[in-house]
Amino acid sequence: MVPTSARFLHWRTMSLLDRLDGRVRSCIKKRGFSGLSDPQMQAIPLILDKKSIVLIAPTGTGKTESAMIPVFNALLTSRSDGGIRALYITPLRSLNRDILYRMEWWCNELSLSIGVRHGDTPASERRRQALSPPELLITTPETLQALFMGRRLRRHLAGIRYVIVDEIHELAGSKRGAQLAVALERLYVYAGDFQRVGLSATVGNPDEIGRFLCGARPFSVVQVPVAKQLDLTVKFAGETFKQQVEVLSSMLGGEGSTLVFVNTRVTAEALGHELFGRGDVEVHHGSLSKDVRIDAEERFKRGEIKTLICTSSMELGIDIGRVDHVIQFGSPREVARLIQRVGRAGHQLHKVSHGTILATGFSDLLESLVIARRARANEIENVVPHVNAADVLANQIAGISVEYGEIERDRVREIIERSHVFSDCGTLLDDVCRQMQEHRLIHLDGSRIITTARARKYLAGNLSMIHDERKVPVFDMVSRRTVGTLDESFVVGWVHTGAVFITKGQLWRVIEIADGKLTVEPAKKVHGEIPSWEGEQIPVPFGIAREVGSIRRDRMIRDYTHEPDGIRYAEKFLSDMDKNRSRVPTDRLITLENTDEGVVCNICAGHKPNEALGRVISILISAKFGTTVGIELDAYRILLRLPLSIRAADVRDAIISLDPVHMPGIIRLALKRTALFKWKLVQVAKKFGAIDQDADYEKISIQRLLEFFDNTVIQKEAYRELLSEYMDITTAAAIVGLVRQGDIEIALGRLSMIGAEGLLSSRDQIPPPTADQAVISAVRRRLESDDVVLCCMNCRDWKSRTVVSRVPETPQCPKCGARLIAALKPWEDPLYAIANKKKKSDEERATELRLVKNANIVLSSGKKAVIALAARGVGPENASRILGTLADGDAFYREILKAERNYIQTHRFWQ
Amino acid sequence: MNLQFISDGPALIVQNRTRVLVVADLHFGIESDLAYHGWHFSSRSDERLRRVCACIDATSPDLLLLLGDVKHSIPKTTRQEFREMPDILSAFRDLVPVRVMPGNHDIGIRRFLQEGELLPKDGAVIDGVAYIHGHTTPAPALLGHLIIAGHHHPMVSLHDEVGCSLRAPAYLAAELDPAKFRHAEKKGTRKKTRVLFMPAFNEYAGFDILQITRHPFSPLSRSIRTERAEVFLTDGTYVGPVSALEDNVAA
Repeated sequence: MVPTSARFLHWRTMSLLDRLDGRVRSCIKKRGFSGLSDPQMQAIPLILDKKSIVLIAPTGTGKTESAMIPVFNALLTSRSDGGIRALYITPLRSLNRDILYRMEWWCNELSLSIGVRHGDTPASERRRQALSPPELLITTPETLQALFMGRRLRRHLAGIRYVIVDEIHELAGSKRGAQLAVALERLYVYAGDFQRVGLSATVGNPDEIGRFLCGARPFSVVQVPVAKQLDLTVKFAGETFKQQVEVLSSMLGGEGSTLVFVNTRVTAEALGHELFGRGDVEVHHGSLSKDVRIDAEERFKRGEIKTLICTSSMELGIDIGRVDHVIQFGSPREVARLIQRVGRAGHQLHKVSHGTILATGFSDLLESLVIARRARANEIENVVPHVNAADVLANQIAGISVEYGEIERDRVREIIERSHVFSDCGTLLDDVCRQMQEHRLIHLDGSRIITTARARKYLAGNLSMIHDERKVPVFDMVSRRTVGTLDESFVVGWVHTGAVFITKGQLWRVIEIADGKLTVEPAKKVHGEIPSWEGEQIPVPFGIAREVGSIRRDRMIRDYTHEPDGIRYAEKFLSDMDKNRSRVPTDRLITLENTDEGVVCNICAGHKPNEALGRVISILISAKFGTTVGIELDAYRILLRLPLSIRAADVRDAIISLDPVHMPGIIRLALKRTALFKWKLVQVAKKFGAIDQDADYEKISIQRLLEFFDNTVIQKEAYRELLSEYMDITTAAAIVGLVRQGDIEIALGRLSMIGAEGLLSSRDQIPPPTADQAVISAVRRRLESDDVVLCCMNCRDWKSRTVVSRVPETPQCPKCGARLIAALKPWEDPLYAIANKKKKSDEERATELRLVKNANIVLSSGKKAVIALAARGVGPENASRILGTLADGDAFYREILKAERNYIQTHRFWQ
Repeated sequence: MNLQFISDGPALIVQNRTRVLVVADLHFGIESDLAYHGWHFSSRSDERLRRVCACIDATSPDLLLLLGDVKHSIPKTTRQEFREMPDILSAFRDLVPVRVMPGNHDIGIRRFLQEGELLPKDGAVIDGVAYIHGHTTPAPALLGHLIIAGHHHPMVSLHDEVGCSLRAPAYLAAELDPAKFRHAEKKGTRKKTRVLFMPAFNEYAGFDILQITRHPFSPLSRSIRTERAEVFLTDGTYVGPVSALEDNVAA
């Protein structure tokens, strides 16, 4: 709504107002508004004409009223049969409260009843609503699910004529959204065709949002551009946190109020800690209690504090009064996010939104510049709905089975296929039903789906597709204190006794999982199992990372900014790279840099393609070298943690050997035994009813249990979600294709400033793909660390005890220079003296012969013979048989394993 | 005496004068208990039964020895077990004579067995090899023999320089330490007693071997020389001594 002092209304506004009921018109006047905003002018006539629409406009331009004025008009002028007449759905309870507050005034004036229903609504209020429902109900997608469960409530759904979905861009790309899309079609069964209105922030693909909302039904898109109303600046804030805080602090001194957006809660707390001293700053993020958050919002609204440091918790349209300026601390990572956040500034009075990005490092600066350019050019990311998400379908089938008691499968298909996200679900429905029956969530009787005793209990715990995870405390036995928490799904799927992981930047080893907590002790080893779980990060899209690469290549920073500090810093950074003779990785150059920890691969590809590339490269290396590979990565680099023997050139060979066509298959293999995959598998399995929300995971060996999801629809869904939400294998394959064509070059080198810039996001490890390889590597390591006694069978005067790995390729006697060296096991040591006796018994002569035979094998086969002779139960005969097969590498060790197994299965060994 | 490792079990063939197929820790009926703890899976009894029968077919033993914890639920026998146990056991009997070494989960199993099938719970020596489920103190008669035990469900985690590369069911072989085992000397036996802990046949079960050696939970596991204990995979592959596993995992 645009309050203005102008006395005369535009004729278009007049004619629009003329279409409204007198009571609505007088409300508009009474509210003190004399003009309608752009979005309102465009949206109201369409809704009056009974069209479903998607309205895309910046926050604070009266989107809610755009939808509700024509809905109020219709509610007043049409007949009511009782029951709910309009649903207003928002993604957040806090937004519900805010909308309720704003709509109550209108409803009072117009004598319409209004109510809110969500998780916090008291039972008494719920009961009242069940008996006499409000005409306008404000709710969340999850509570909408609950409405279908109550017999009385279901009756009240038949009269719904309008459904408004607020902040629909937040929902459309998530599983919550897919669930909502099906719920709307379940509603259609009771209410018939109703009008649908989606309110969205700016997105790259509004039509997809429309399809998401309406399925195959017609809709219109109303789009009010934002770009011209944005005033964006990128400012370099220095490399150290101290400098950054100073710059930020100096920007808060002026007139007006400021929102400071940060990307993580940790940063929010750290900045808050530094700035609390000013007295006019508060922190606002999801981990704080509701009271604390509301208090901060209220004080900001009243002007008692001038600055609010917040995370995405403040992105959505909660009314916090006037914001003059938005500061984004660190790159916003996505264009849509930047626009959404900066859009919070300049509500109502100011048409222009002022926003500043404070960049905090080299990559961060270039990324911020790219994102700002794209925002000005209106190049915004697409929202991609979850199509055919099996766990959402399972959840909805459970819901429908409880709703109907029993129902034909074809009717379920009809309902779900009306939604855009399952319009082409094919055999998925049958696969999901079968799997649900396996876990006794539904019962199948021919073509009918029948609800089970468990289903209602399951739904009570699974109304939401949000994984509201139990957090498992991590207790350090040494310091006797809790050092952090881990997601339960992570603990269930991956953690086992002896596992080593990182949290709070430190290595821990698991001693015990019991009594609802994880008991650990500090692990000192630098190499260890590395999965850490520090929350999910906002990924930088491919296009942005690529453009950053192009700036690094042509170095035209001045095309992007005029801010002198930033230009000076970036240019100096690049010239320092040149001085160090480090090649600068770009969109056309991948650099592979050796470090003590492994190899850093600098690839400007964004998080998701790097996640895919990193895992594919890792599995190739782990398969070839039989070692686990640890990975850490961000949008510009992948750190592969490797044994020191594997270097950048090996990584290059792995990349070059890749056929892009095989990459989708390889990544599935690479994912299968990782922490990430198991974590996701547990989450999906919970939605299928296989695992209760409060399952006891301490008494059961869950690791093996998870193997039973192999080739099930649960496993497929875990793959589908990971390959769409967490990684981008298509783009990764395209990059490898460019490398093979020579369009992207690969260079090797030492660790550079860019490579060392620091990794923040995901970590995982990729074990060798088959058990065989892991076993062979384990045996190889055992044999290499075995003790061996070398003794010269020529001069008979030299003996030396060492370990196999230190034996040279062709052992030689230092005394006589002969190569006739016998390799004995430590307990065979006394045999040398026996063989060297002057006078020998027959038996002793036989011993001497064995030693000579042993030495002859070493003479002809060198170290390989020493390795074979170190094996359990392998004497000269067995050794020459093994060496006679001429097997090399893994095949050689397989022969040794075979010989050992034969020995172990015999009598000698066990007595 | 020869041992043959059947990795598709995991199971063991002990060959002396007779051929004994040893299967430990089947835990038929575990699904009801899993469901109680929040894990809902259909019964896999059929699959488990088929797997045992396949082992019998592949090895043609003279005797099938079930080394305890044939069923799962205690103290009460569940409906699932009443329904499934008779058919399972008669399926075995149709192929080969059966003996059952009772385990801690086998309370009430007698009702499903025939005369002479149930062995004493403190162990028995069959054809020169000693068997026990493993939750009780072994009878003195077992000492001096190779003792094959279930109950511990050993699993091994292989570690390399970077991380855990494999977790799999495994055998743990160890010597009984006379100093720790009071019965060892009483009988005045001079011969070493070795214990071979078998992995569970049930696919859900598994304890990390290091958990067994560091926090032993049975008379047998408390009495072994862990420093000389050795680990084998289900196909008989020698992985190495337990101490090497410790090196890889320890800080």
